[in-house]
Amino acid sequence: MDVIKLYLHAMRMQIKSQTQYPLSFLMQTAAQLVMEGGEMLAVILLVDRFERMNRWEAGDLYFFFGLMAVTFYLTECFARGITGNFPYLIRTGQLDTFLARPRGILTQVICSAADPRRITCIAVGVVSLVIGCRMSAVQWTAGKALLMAEAILCGSCLIQGLFMIEAIFCIHSVKSVELVNALTYGGRSACEYPIDAFPRPLRILFTVVAPFALTLQLPGSVILGKPLYDWPAWTVYITPLSGVAVFGLIWLWFQGAMRFYRSTGS
Amino acid sequence: MMSYIHVRNLEKQFTVRQKRAKGTMLREKKIVQALREVSFDVEQGELLGYIGPNGAGKSTTVKILSGILTPDGGEVTVGGRVPWKERKAHVRRIGVVFGQRTQLWWDVPIQDSYDLLRDVYRIGETDYRTRLKELAEALQLETLLRTPLRQLSLGQRMRAELCGSLLHRPELLFLDEPTIGLDAVSKLALRDFLQWENREQGTTILLTTHDMEDIVALCPRVMVLGHGRKLFDGALQDLLGRYDTLRTVEVRYEETGALPDLPSVVPVQREGETLHISYAPAEFATAELIARLQQAGTIRELTVQPQNIDRLVAAMYREMDL
Repeated sequence: MDVIKLYLHAMRMQIKSQTQYPLSFLMQTAAQLVMEGGEMLAVILLVDRFERMNRWEAGDLYFFFGLMAVTFYLTECFARGITGNFPYLIRTGQLDTFLARPRGILTQVICSAADPRRITCIAVGVVSLVIGCRMSAVQWTAGKALLMAEAILCGSCLIQGLFMIEAIFCIHSVKSVELVNALTYGGRSACEYPIDAFPRPLRILFTVVAPFALTLQLPGSVILGKPLYDWPAWTVYITPLSGVAVFGLIWLWFQGAMRFYRSTGS
Repeated sequence: MMSYIHVRNLEKQFTVRQKRAKGTMLREKKIVQALREVSFDVEQGELLGYIGPNGAGKSTTVKILSGILTPDGGEVTVGGRVPWKERKAHVRRIGVVFGQRTQLWWDVPIQDSYDLLRDVYRIGETDYRTRLKELAEALQLETLLRTPLRQLSLGQRMRAELCGSLLHRPELLFLDEPTIGLDAVSKLALRDFLQWENREQGTTILLTTHDMEDIVALCPRVMVLGHGRKLFDGALQDLLGRYDTLRTVEVRYEETGALPDLPSVVPVQREGETLHISYAPAEFATAELIARLQQAGTIRELTVQPQNIDRLVAAMYREMDL
Protein backbone atom coordinates (compact mmCIF):
# COMPACT_ATOMS: atom_id res chain seq x y z
CA MET A 1 0.00 0.00 0.00
CA ASP A 2 2.78 2.31 1.04
CA VAL A 3 4.63 1.61 -2.19
CA ILE A 4 1.55 2.39 -4.28
CA LYS A 5 1.11 5.67 -2.43
CA LEU A 6 4.73 6.54 -3.13
CA TYR A 7 4.33 5.59 -6.79
CA LEU A 8 1.22 7.74 -7.21
CA HIS A 9 2.96 10.67 -5.53
CA ALA A 10 5.98 10.26 -7.81
CA MET A 11 3.72 10.08 -10.89
CA ARG A 12 1.94 13.31 -9.90
CA MET A 13 5.31 14.96 -9.67
CA GLN A 14 6.47 13.56 -13.01
CA ILE A 15 3.41 14.95 -14.75
CA LYS A 16 3.84 18.29 -13.01
CA SER A 17 7.49 18.38 -13.98
CA GLN A 18 6.86 17.51 -17.63
CA THR A 19 4.03 19.97 -18.11
CA GLN A 20 6.34 22.80 -17.03
CA TYR A 21 6.92 23.34 -20.73
CA PRO A 22 3.35 22.94 -22.05
CA LEU A 23 3.98 23.71 -25.72
CA SER A 24 6.86 21.26 -25.95
CA PHE A 25 4.77 18.65 -24.14
CA LEU A 26 1.83 19.06 -26.55
CA MET A 27 4.03 18.95 -29.62
CA GLN A 28 5.80 15.81 -28.48
CA THR A 29 2.48 14.18 -27.66
CA ALA A 30 1.26 15.00 -31.15
CA ALA A 31 4.50 13.62 -32.64
CA GLN A 32 3.82 10.32 -30.87
CA LEU A 33 0.46 10.18 -32.65
CA VAL A 34 2.17 10.47 -36.03
CA MET A 35 4.67 7.76 -35.06
CA GLU A 36 2.19 5.17 -33.81
CA GLY A 37 -0.37 6.19 -36.46
CA GLY A 38 2.28 5.28 -39.04
CA GLU A 39 2.68 1.82 -37.53
CA MET A 40 -1.07 1.30 -37.73
CA LEU A 41 -1.09 2.52 -41.31
CA ALA A 42 1.09 -0.48 -42.18
CA VAL A 43 -1.70 -2.77 -40.93
CA ILE A 44 -4.33 -0.76 -42.82
CA LEU A 45 -2.33 -1.03 -46.06
CA LEU A 46 -1.75 -4.74 -45.52
CA VAL A 47 -5.45 -5.39 -45.00
CA ASP A 48 -6.34 -3.16 -47.95
CA ARG A 49 -4.05 -5.10 -50.28
CA PHE A 50 -4.48 -8.71 -49.06
CA GLU A 51 -7.67 -8.70 -46.94
CA ARG A 52 -6.33 -11.61 -44.94
CA MET A 53 -3.12 -13.20 -43.74
CA ASN A 54 -3.21 -16.97 -43.43
CA ARG A 55 -6.32 -17.65 -41.37
CA TRP A 56 -6.44 -14.16 -39.87
CA GLU A 57 -8.95 -11.70 -41.22
CA ALA A 58 -8.73 -7.90 -41.20
CA GLY A 59 -10.44 -7.54 -37.80
CA ASP A 60 -8.09 -10.11 -36.22
CA LEU A 61 -5.05 -8.21 -37.50
CA TYR A 62 -6.33 -4.94 -36.05
CA PHE A 63 -6.97 -6.74 -32.78
CA PHE A 64 -3.43 -8.17 -32.49
CA PHE A 65 -1.91 -4.82 -33.42
CA GLY A 66 -4.05 -3.01 -30.84
CA LEU A 67 -3.28 -5.52 -28.09
CA MET A 68 0.46 -5.10 -28.54
CA ALA A 69 0.27 -1.30 -28.86
CA VAL A 70 -1.82 -0.91 -25.72
CA THR A 71 0.42 -3.24 -23.70
CA PHE A 72 3.69 -1.75 -24.91
CA TYR A 73 2.74 1.90 -24.51
CA LEU A 74 0.99 1.44 -21.17
CA THR A 75 4.32 0.04 -20.02
CA GLU A 76 6.23 2.95 -21.53
CA CYS A 77 3.80 5.40 -19.95
CA PHE A 78 3.81 4.04 -16.41
CA ALA A 79 7.12 2.17 -16.16
CA ARG A 80 9.23 4.58 -18.19
CA GLY A 81 11.81 4.40 -15.42
CA ILE A 82 12.62 0.85 -16.51
CA THR A 83 12.10 1.15 -20.25
CA GLY A 84 13.85 4.50 -20.50
CA ASN A 85 16.70 5.79 -18.37
CA PHE A 86 17.70 2.71 -16.41
CA PRO A 87 20.99 2.04 -18.28
CA TYR A 88 21.80 5.76 -18.12
CA LEU A 89 21.27 5.77 -14.34
CA ILE A 90 23.87 3.05 -14.04
CA ARG A 91 26.38 4.48 -16.50
CA THR A 92 26.36 7.91 -14.88
CA GLY A 93 26.31 6.64 -11.30
CA GLN A 94 23.01 8.42 -10.66
CA LEU A 95 21.85 5.11 -9.18
CA ASP A 96 23.96 6.04 -6.14
CA THR A 97 21.30 8.46 -4.94
CA PHE A 98 18.73 5.63 -5.10
CA LEU A 99 21.00 3.24 -3.23
CA ALA A 100 21.40 5.82 -0.49
CA ARG A 101 17.66 5.80 0.22
CA PRO A 102 15.72 3.22 2.24
CA ARG A 103 13.64 1.86 -0.63
CA GLY A 104 13.98 -0.93 -3.15
CA ILE A 105 15.95 -0.13 -6.27
CA LEU A 106 13.17 -1.29 -8.58
CA THR A 107 10.60 0.84 -6.73
CA GLN A 108 12.76 3.92 -7.07
CA VAL A 109 13.64 3.29 -10.69
CA ILE A 110 9.96 2.91 -11.61
CA CYS A 111 9.12 6.04 -9.61
CA SER A 112 11.89 7.99 -11.32
CA ALA A 113 10.13 8.49 -14.65
CA ALA A 114 6.82 8.49 -16.44
CA ASP A 115 5.97 9.25 -20.03
CA PRO A 116 2.46 10.71 -20.26
CA ARG A 117 3.12 11.65 -23.90
CA ARG A 118 2.50 8.00 -24.76
CA ILE A 119 -1.19 8.59 -24.17
CA THR A 120 -1.65 9.14 -27.92
CA CYS A 121 0.04 5.82 -28.74
CA ILE A 122 -2.24 4.08 -26.26
CA ALA A 123 -5.21 5.80 -27.89
CA VAL A 124 -4.19 4.49 -31.32
CA GLY A 125 -3.96 1.00 -29.81
CA VAL A 126 -7.39 1.29 -28.22
CA VAL A 127 -8.93 2.48 -31.50
CA SER A 128 -7.35 -0.47 -33.31
CA LEU A 129 -8.63 -2.88 -30.63
CA VAL A 130 -12.18 -1.51 -30.89
CA ILE A 131 -12.14 -1.71 -34.70
CA GLY A 132 -10.79 -5.27 -34.45
CA CYS A 133 -13.48 -6.38 -32.00
CA ARG A 134 -16.22 -4.87 -34.17
CA MET A 135 -14.97 -6.38 -37.44
CA SER A 136 -14.32 -9.82 -35.93
CA ALA A 137 -17.59 -9.65 -33.94
CA VAL A 138 -15.96 -10.66 -30.65
CA GLN A 139 -18.44 -12.07 -28.12
CA TRP A 140 -17.30 -10.58 -24.82
CA THR A 141 -17.69 -12.56 -21.59
CA ALA A 142 -16.39 -11.85 -18.09
CA GLY A 143 -13.79 -14.58 -18.62
CA LYS A 144 -12.51 -12.98 -21.82
CA ALA A 145 -12.31 -9.54 -20.22
CA LEU A 146 -10.34 -11.02 -17.34
CA LEU A 147 -8.06 -12.85 -19.76
CA MET A 148 -7.40 -9.64 -21.66
CA ALA A 149 -6.48 -7.79 -18.45
CA GLU A 150 -4.18 -10.65 -17.45
CA ALA A 151 -2.53 -10.67 -20.88
CA ILE A 152 -1.83 -6.93 -20.78
CA LEU A 153 -0.45 -7.07 -17.24
CA CYS A 154 1.78 -10.08 -17.91
CA GLY A 155 2.86 -8.67 -21.26
CA SER A 156 3.89 -5.50 -19.48
CA CYS A 157 5.98 -7.51 -17.01
CA LEU A 158 7.68 -9.26 -19.91
CA ILE A 159 8.51 -5.96 -21.60
CA GLN A 160 9.93 -4.49 -18.38
CA GLY A 161 12.03 -7.58 -17.85
CA LEU A 162 13.49 -7.42 -21.35
CA PHE A 163 14.37 -3.75 -20.96
CA MET A 164 16.20 -4.58 -17.74
CA ILE A 165 18.72 -6.73 -19.64
CA GLU A 166 20.37 -3.60 -21.01
CA ALA A 167 20.72 -2.20 -17.49
CA ILE A 168 22.40 -5.45 -16.41
CA PHE A 169 24.85 -5.27 -19.29
CA CYS A 170 25.61 -1.68 -18.27
CA ILE A 171 26.70 -2.86 -14.83
CA HIS A 172 29.29 -5.04 -16.54
CA SER A 173 30.10 -2.07 -18.79
CA VAL A 174 29.04 -3.87 -21.93
CA LYS A 175 27.39 -1.82 -24.64
CA SER A 176 24.60 -3.88 -26.03
CA VAL A 177 21.84 -1.58 -27.14
CA GLU A 178 21.25 -3.28 -30.50
CA LEU A 179 21.11 -6.77 -29.06
CA VAL A 180 18.56 -5.84 -26.44
CA ASN A 181 16.57 -3.62 -28.78
CA ALA A 182 16.09 -6.63 -31.06
CA LEU A 183 14.10 -8.23 -28.24
CA THR A 184 12.26 -5.15 -26.98
CA TYR A 185 11.40 -2.92 -29.92
CA GLY A 186 11.93 -5.83 -32.32
CA GLY A 187 9.55 -7.94 -30.28
CA ARG A 188 6.97 -5.20 -30.31
CA SER A 189 7.15 -4.64 -34.07
CA ALA A 190 7.13 -8.33 -34.91
CA CYS A 191 4.42 -9.40 -32.50
CA GLU A 192 2.02 -6.76 -33.70
CA TYR A 193 1.32 -9.52 -36.23
CA PRO A 194 0.22 -13.06 -35.40
CA ILE A 195 3.14 -15.31 -34.55
CA ASP A 196 2.32 -18.00 -37.15
CA ALA A 197 3.19 -15.53 -39.90
CA PHE A 198 6.87 -15.94 -39.02
CA PRO A 199 9.45 -18.62 -39.81
CA ARG A 200 10.32 -21.17 -37.15
CA PRO A 201 13.41 -19.51 -35.56
CA LEU A 202 11.47 -16.30 -34.92
CA ARG A 203 8.52 -18.29 -33.58
CA ILE A 204 10.86 -20.00 -31.11
CA LEU A 205 12.45 -16.67 -30.18
CA PHE A 206 9.11 -15.08 -29.36
CA THR A 207 7.71 -18.15 -27.63
CA VAL A 208 10.62 -19.37 -25.54
CA VAL A 209 13.07 -16.49 -25.11
CA ALA A 210 10.78 -13.47 -25.17
CA PRO A 211 7.39 -15.17 -24.88
CA PHE A 212 5.14 -12.54 -26.47
CA ALA A 213 3.28 -15.41 -28.12
CA LEU A 214 2.37 -16.91 -24.75
CA THR A 215 1.61 -13.67 -22.88
CA LEU A 216 -0.29 -11.73 -25.54
CA GLN A 217 -1.05 -13.67 -28.68
CA LEU A 218 -2.44 -16.93 -27.31
CA PRO A 219 -4.92 -15.07 -25.07
CA GLY A 220 -5.68 -12.75 -28.01
CA SER A 221 -6.41 -15.67 -30.32
CA VAL A 222 -8.69 -17.24 -27.70
CA ILE A 223 -10.61 -13.97 -27.31
CA LEU A 224 -11.02 -13.91 -31.10
CA GLY A 225 -12.31 -17.50 -30.92
CA LYS A 226 -9.45 -18.88 -33.08
CA PRO A 227 -6.95 -20.42 -30.63
CA LEU A 228 -3.34 -20.51 -31.89
CA TYR A 229 -2.67 -23.99 -30.48
CA ASP A 230 -4.90 -26.98 -29.74
CA TRP A 231 -4.10 -26.87 -26.05
CA PRO A 232 -6.70 -27.46 -23.32
CA ALA A 233 -8.83 -24.37 -22.72
CA TRP A 234 -7.55 -23.68 -19.19
CA THR A 235 -3.93 -23.36 -20.30
CA VAL A 236 -4.62 -19.95 -21.76
CA TYR A 237 -4.92 -18.55 -18.25
CA ILE A 238 -1.54 -20.03 -17.30
CA THR A 239 0.68 -19.21 -20.27
CA PRO A 240 0.68 -15.39 -19.79
CA LEU A 241 2.39 -15.98 -16.44
CA SER A 242 5.51 -16.80 -18.45
CA GLY A 243 5.92 -13.01 -18.79
CA VAL A 244 5.99 -12.67 -15.01
CA ALA A 245 8.45 -15.56 -14.81
CA VAL A 246 10.80 -13.91 -17.32
CA PHE A 247 10.59 -10.69 -15.32
CA GLY A 248 11.37 -12.54 -12.11
CA LEU A 249 14.38 -14.34 -13.57
CA ILE A 250 15.84 -11.18 -15.04
CA TRP A 251 15.23 -9.37 -11.75
CA LEU A 252 17.21 -12.03 -9.90
CA TRP A 253 19.94 -11.72 -12.51
CA PHE A 254 19.94 -7.95 -11.96
CA GLN A 255 20.29 -8.33 -8.19
CA GLY A 256 23.20 -10.69 -8.67
CA ALA A 257 24.83 -8.23 -11.06
CA MET A 258 24.45 -5.37 -8.57
CA ARG A 259 27.29 -6.87 -6.53
CA PHE A 260 29.50 -5.77 -9.39
CA TYR A 261 28.06 -2.28 -9.49
CA ARG A 262 30.95 0.13 -9.20
CA SER A 263 29.40 3.55 -9.50
CA THR A 264 31.28 6.36 -11.20
CA GLY A 265 32.70 9.77 -10.42
CA SER A 266 33.20 11.38 -7.08
CA MET B 1 32.33 -1.28 23.19
CA MET B 2 32.69 -0.87 19.47
CA SER B 3 32.89 2.65 18.06
CA TYR B 4 30.07 4.15 16.00
CA ILE B 5 31.89 3.83 12.69
CA HIS B 6 34.24 0.89 12.81
CA VAL B 7 36.48 0.20 9.82
CA ARG B 8 39.17 -2.48 9.75
CA ASN B 9 41.50 -3.38 6.88
CA LEU B 10 39.14 -2.11 4.24
CA GLU B 11 40.10 -3.21 0.73
CA LYS B 12 38.58 -2.32 -2.60
CA GLN B 13 39.84 -2.81 -6.10
CA PHE B 14 38.46 -1.94 -9.49
CA THR B 15 39.12 -3.65 -12.76
CA VAL B 16 39.65 -1.19 -15.55
CA ARG B 17 39.46 -2.42 -19.09
CA GLN B 18 41.67 -0.63 -21.54
CA LYS B 19 42.02 -1.04 -25.25
CA ARG B 20 45.45 -2.45 -25.90
CA ALA B 21 45.98 -0.59 -29.16
CA LYS B 22 43.99 1.33 -31.68
CA GLY B 23 41.82 -0.83 -33.86
CA THR B 24 42.23 -4.06 -31.93
CA MET B 25 39.36 -5.69 -30.16
CA LEU B 26 41.60 -7.06 -27.45
CA ARG B 27 41.34 -5.39 -24.11
CA GLU B 28 43.76 -5.34 -21.30
CA LYS B 29 42.57 -5.74 -17.77
CA LYS B 30 44.18 -3.51 -15.24
CA ILE B 31 43.49 -3.77 -11.54
CA VAL B 32 43.42 -0.52 -9.62
CA GLN B 33 43.73 -0.82 -5.87
CA ALA B 34 41.36 1.89 -4.61
CA LEU B 35 41.72 1.14 -0.89
CA ARG B 36 44.41 -0.80 0.97
CA GLU B 37 44.12 -1.83 4.60
CA VAL B 38 42.29 1.29 5.68
CA SER B 39 41.26 1.23 9.34
CA PHE B 40 39.71 3.92 11.49
CA ASP B 41 37.10 4.62 14.14
CA VAL B 42 34.66 7.48 14.46
CA GLU B 43 32.59 8.24 17.55
CA GLN B 44 29.09 9.63 17.47
CA GLY B 45 28.98 13.43 17.27
CA GLU B 46 32.38 13.84 15.63
CA LEU B 47 33.02 16.19 12.72
CA LEU B 48 35.69 14.55 10.65
CA GLY B 49 37.51 15.97 7.66
CA TYR B 50 38.64 13.55 5.01
CA ILE B 51 41.26 14.87 2.61
CA GLY B 52 43.58 13.62 -0.07
CA PRO B 53 44.37 14.32 -3.71
CA ASN B 54 41.98 13.34 -6.49
CA GLY B 55 41.75 9.59 -6.90
CA ALA B 56 43.03 8.85 -3.39
CA GLY B 57 39.99 6.72 -2.53
CA LYS B 58 37.93 9.21 -0.53
CA SER B 59 34.75 8.75 -2.54
CA THR B 60 35.19 5.00 -2.55
CA THR B 61 35.33 4.99 1.25
CA VAL B 62 32.21 7.15 1.47
CA LYS B 63 30.39 4.92 -1.00
CA ILE B 64 31.23 1.82 1.02
CA LEU B 65 30.21 3.48 4.28
CA SER B 66 26.91 4.57 2.74
CA GLY B 67 26.08 1.10 1.45
CA ILE B 68 26.48 1.88 -2.25
CA LEU B 69 29.53 -0.27 -2.91
CA THR B 70 30.53 -3.67 -1.58
CA PRO B 71 34.18 -3.85 -0.49
CA ASP B 72 36.53 -6.70 -1.45
CA GLY B 73 37.80 -7.20 2.07
CA GLY B 74 37.80 -5.91 5.61
CA GLU B 75 35.19 -5.13 8.21
CA VAL B 76 32.85 -2.17 8.36
CA THR B 77 30.05 -1.45 10.78
CA VAL B 78 28.15 1.77 11.23
CA GLY B 79 26.01 1.89 14.36
CA GLY B 80 26.41 -1.88 14.58
CA ARG B 81 25.20 -2.51 11.01
CA VAL B 82 27.10 -3.68 7.96
CA PRO B 83 26.12 -1.05 5.37
CA TRP B 84 25.97 -3.18 2.21
CA LYS B 85 24.30 -6.12 3.94
CA GLU B 86 21.51 -4.19 5.63
CA ARG B 87 21.28 -1.39 3.10
CA LYS B 88 17.73 -0.21 3.74
CA ALA B 89 17.97 -0.20 7.54
CA HIS B 90 21.35 1.49 7.28
CA VAL B 91 20.52 4.28 4.85
CA ARG B 92 17.43 5.28 6.80
CA ARG B 93 19.79 6.68 9.41
CA ILE B 94 22.27 8.39 7.13
CA GLY B 95 22.19 11.39 4.82
CA VAL B 96 24.39 11.78 1.78
CA VAL B 97 25.10 14.91 -0.22
CA PHE B 98 26.89 14.13 -3.45
CA GLY B 99 28.82 17.15 -4.66
CA GLN B 100 28.21 16.56 -8.32
CA ARG B 101 24.76 15.03 -8.49
CA THR B 102 21.45 16.19 -7.20
CA GLN B 103 18.81 14.18 -5.43
CA LEU B 104 16.14 16.82 -5.95
CA TRP B 105 13.93 17.21 -9.02
CA TRP B 106 14.99 19.80 -11.54
CA ASP B 107 11.73 21.29 -12.75
CA VAL B 108 9.51 21.34 -9.68
CA PRO B 109 9.56 23.59 -6.58
CA ILE B 110 11.99 22.24 -3.99
CA GLN B 111 9.15 21.85 -1.47
CA ASP B 112 7.58 19.26 -3.82
CA SER B 113 10.84 17.31 -3.82
CA TYR B 114 10.87 17.40 -0.03
CA ASP B 115 7.27 16.17 0.09
CA LEU B 116 8.27 13.17 -1.99
CA LEU B 117 11.31 12.52 0.20
CA ARG B 118 8.96 12.56 3.19
CA ASP B 119 7.14 9.60 1.61
CA VAL B 120 10.38 7.89 0.58
CA TYR B 121 11.69 8.00 4.16
CA ARG B 122 8.25 7.48 5.70
CA ILE B 123 8.54 10.58 7.88
CA GLY B 124 5.46 11.39 10.00
CA GLU B 125 3.59 14.52 8.93
CA THR B 126 4.06 16.54 12.14
CA ASP B 127 7.70 15.59 12.48
CA TYR B 128 8.24 16.48 8.83
CA ARG B 129 6.69 19.93 9.28
CA THR B 130 8.75 20.81 12.35
CA ARG B 131 11.95 19.56 10.81
CA LEU B 132 11.40 21.32 7.48
CA LYS B 133 10.60 24.58 9.26
CA GLU B 134 13.70 24.27 11.40
CA LEU B 135 15.98 23.44 8.46
CA ALA B 136 14.48 26.06 6.14
CA GLU B 137 15.12 28.66 8.82
CA ALA B 138 18.68 27.55 9.52
CA LEU B 139 19.51 27.32 5.82
CA GLN B 140 17.59 30.46 4.84
CA LEU B 141 15.37 28.62 2.42
CA GLU B 142 11.96 29.89 3.60
CA THR B 143 11.42 32.19 0.65
CA LEU B 144 12.73 29.66 -1.86
CA LEU B 145 10.53 26.67 -1.06
CA ARG B 146 8.17 27.39 -3.97
CA THR B 147 10.99 27.97 -6.46
CA PRO B 148 11.98 25.20 -8.91
CA LEU B 149 15.49 23.86 -8.42
CA ARG B 150 16.58 24.99 -11.88
CA GLN B 151 16.08 28.64 -10.91
CA LEU B 152 18.30 28.50 -7.83
CA SER B 153 21.87 29.74 -7.71
CA LEU B 154 24.66 27.27 -6.94
CA GLY B 155 24.81 28.33 -3.30
CA GLN B 156 21.06 28.10 -2.88
CA ARG B 157 21.08 24.72 -4.55
CA MET B 158 23.67 23.32 -2.14
CA ARG B 159 21.57 24.57 0.77
CA ALA B 160 18.50 22.96 -0.76
CA GLU B 161 20.38 19.66 -1.17
CA LEU B 162 21.51 19.77 2.45
CA CYS B 163 17.97 20.36 3.61
CA GLY B 164 16.77 17.38 1.55
CA SER B 165 19.40 15.08 2.99
CA LEU B 166 18.65 16.06 6.60
CA LEU B 167 14.83 15.87 6.61
CA HIS B 168 14.80 12.38 8.08
CA ARG B 169 17.14 13.44 10.93
CA PRO B 170 20.07 11.19 10.01
CA GLU B 171 22.60 10.31 12.73
CA LEU B 172 25.38 10.44 10.19
CA LEU B 173 25.88 12.83 7.30
CA PHE B 174 28.30 12.36 4.41
CA LEU B 175 29.27 15.49 2.54
CA ASP B 176 31.23 15.37 -0.67
CA GLU B 177 32.81 18.76 -1.35
CA PRO B 178 29.87 20.83 -0.14
CA THR B 179 31.51 24.23 -0.69
CA ILE B 180 32.80 23.62 -4.21
CA GLY B 181 32.10 26.62 -6.44
CA LEU B 182 30.42 28.68 -3.71
CA ASP B 183 31.13 32.36 -3.08
CA ALA B 184 32.62 33.54 0.21
CA VAL B 185 29.31 34.46 1.84
CA SER B 186 27.66 31.17 0.93
CA LYS B 187 30.68 29.22 2.15
CA LEU B 188 30.65 30.93 5.53
CA ALA B 189 26.88 30.45 5.90
CA LEU B 190 27.22 26.77 5.01
CA ARG B 191 30.01 26.22 7.52
CA ASP B 192 27.96 27.92 10.24
CA PHE B 193 25.10 25.64 9.43
CA LEU B 194 27.19 22.47 9.53
CA GLN B 195 28.56 23.49 12.91
CA TRP B 196 25.03 24.12 14.15
CA GLU B 197 23.78 20.77 12.86
CA ASN B 198 26.73 18.98 14.44
CA ARG B 199 26.42 20.71 17.81
CA GLU B 200 22.66 21.11 18.23
CA GLN B 201 21.48 17.90 16.60
CA GLY B 202 24.49 15.78 17.49
CA THR B 203 24.83 14.65 13.87
CA THR B 204 28.10 12.91 13.07
CA ILE B 205 29.53 14.52 9.94
CA LEU B 206 32.13 13.13 7.56
CA LEU B 207 33.30 15.78 5.17
CA THR B 208 35.45 15.24 2.09
CA THR B 209 36.84 18.39 0.60
CA HIS B 210 39.71 20.00 -1.22
CA ASP B 211 39.00 23.31 0.43
CA MET B 212 41.42 23.48 3.35
CA GLU B 213 39.57 26.44 4.79
CA ASP B 214 36.61 24.10 5.35
CA ILE B 215 38.82 21.81 7.35
CA VAL B 216 40.37 24.62 9.39
CA ALA B 217 36.97 26.09 10.17
CA LEU B 218 35.11 22.86 10.89
CA CYS B 219 37.13 19.77 11.61
CA PRO B 220 39.04 19.15 14.84
CA ARG B 221 40.08 15.82 13.38
CA VAL B 222 41.47 15.13 9.91
CA MET B 223 42.19 11.98 8.02
CA VAL B 224 44.52 12.00 5.02
CA LEU B 225 44.27 9.38 2.32
CA GLY B 226 46.66 8.82 -0.56
CA HIS B 227 46.94 6.00 -3.08
CA GLY B 228 44.27 4.16 -1.13
CA ARG B 229 46.20 4.18 2.15
CA LYS B 230 45.54 6.10 5.31
CA LEU B 231 48.49 8.41 5.83
CA PHE B 232 47.44 10.52 8.76
CA ASP B 233 44.67 10.49 11.33
CA GLY B 234 44.60 13.01 14.13
CA ALA B 235 44.20 16.62 15.15
CA LEU B 236 44.55 19.23 12.45
CA GLN B 237 47.14 21.10 14.54
CA ASP B 238 49.39 18.03 14.66
CA LEU B 239 49.14 17.64 10.92
CA LEU B 240 50.06 21.29 10.41
CA GLY B 241 52.88 21.03 12.94
CA ARG B 242 54.32 18.07 11.13
CA TYR B 243 54.38 19.72 7.77
CA ASP B 244 54.80 23.25 8.88
CA THR B 245 56.67 25.44 6.46
CA LEU B 246 58.47 28.63 7.32
CA ARG B 247 56.40 31.60 8.38
CA THR B 248 57.22 35.19 7.63
CA VAL B 249 56.92 38.20 9.93
CA GLU B 250 57.32 41.74 8.66
CA VAL B 251 58.40 44.47 11.11
CA ARG B 252 58.96 48.23 10.86
CA TYR B 253 60.57 50.13 13.70
CA GLU B 254 60.23 53.78 14.65
CA GLU B 255 64.00 53.95 14.88
CA THR B 256 65.84 53.52 11.59
CA GLY B 257 68.49 50.85 11.69
CA ALA B 258 67.04 48.94 14.63
CA LEU B 259 67.99 45.27 14.33
CA PRO B 260 66.71 42.52 16.62
CA ASP B 261 69.20 40.05 18.06
CA LEU B 262 68.30 36.73 16.47
CA PRO B 263 70.12 33.42 16.04
CA SER B 264 71.21 32.24 12.60
CA VAL B 265 68.28 29.82 12.21
CA VAL B 266 66.09 32.92 11.88
CA PRO B 267 67.33 34.85 8.84
CA VAL B 268 66.52 38.53 8.52
CA GLN B 269 66.28 40.44 5.26
CA ARG B 270 66.08 44.19 5.05
CA GLU B 271 64.00 45.88 2.37
CA GLY B 272 63.93 49.64 2.85
CA GLU B 273 62.67 50.16 6.38
CA THR B 274 60.91 46.79 6.54
CA LEU B 275 62.51 43.69 7.98
CA HIS B 276 61.43 40.31 6.62
CA ILE B 277 61.99 37.60 9.19
CA SER B 278 61.33 33.92 8.43
CA TYR B 279 61.27 31.28 11.09
CA ALA B 280 59.97 27.79 11.80
CA PRO B 281 57.92 27.67 15.00
CA ALA B 282 59.31 24.24 15.77
CA GLU B 283 62.88 25.60 15.84
CA PHE B 284 62.26 28.98 17.34
CA ALA B 285 59.24 29.70 19.53
CA THR B 286 56.90 32.44 18.40
CA ALA B 287 56.76 33.98 21.91
CA GLU B 288 60.54 34.20 22.04
CA LEU B 289 60.67 35.84 18.62
CA ILE B 290 58.12 38.50 19.60
CA ALA B 291 60.00 39.22 22.83
CA ARG B 292 63.27 39.72 20.96
CA LEU B 293 61.61 41.94 18.37
CA GLN B 294 60.29 44.17 21.14
CA GLN B 295 63.68 44.47 22.78
CA ALA B 296 65.19 45.90 19.60
CA GLY B 297 63.10 49.07 19.53
CA THR B 298 59.61 50.58 19.25
CA ILE B 299 57.57 48.59 16.76
CA ARG B 300 55.59 50.79 14.39
CA GLU B 301 54.06 48.01 12.34
CA LEU B 302 54.05 44.24 12.60
CA THR B 303 52.38 41.78 10.24
CA VAL B 304 52.44 38.03 10.40
CA GLN B 305 51.86 36.38 7.04
CA PRO B 306 49.09 33.83 7.49
CA GLN B 307 50.05 30.26 6.78
CA ASN B 308 49.08 29.31 3.31
CA ILE B 309 47.35 26.09 4.06
CA ASP B 310 46.96 25.01 0.44
CA ARG B 311 50.70 25.31 -0.05
CA LEU B 312 51.19 23.41 3.14
CA VAL B 313 49.00 20.55 2.00
CA ALA B 314 50.74 20.52 -1.37
CA ALA B 315 54.07 20.21 0.47
CA MET B 316 52.61 17.40 2.52
CA TYR B 317 51.34 15.51 -0.52
CA ARG B 318 54.75 15.94 -2.12
CA GLU B 319 56.52 14.59 0.92
CA MET B 320 54.15 11.64 1.14
CA ASP B 321 54.88 11.10 -2.55
CA LEU B 322 51.29 11.40 -3.77
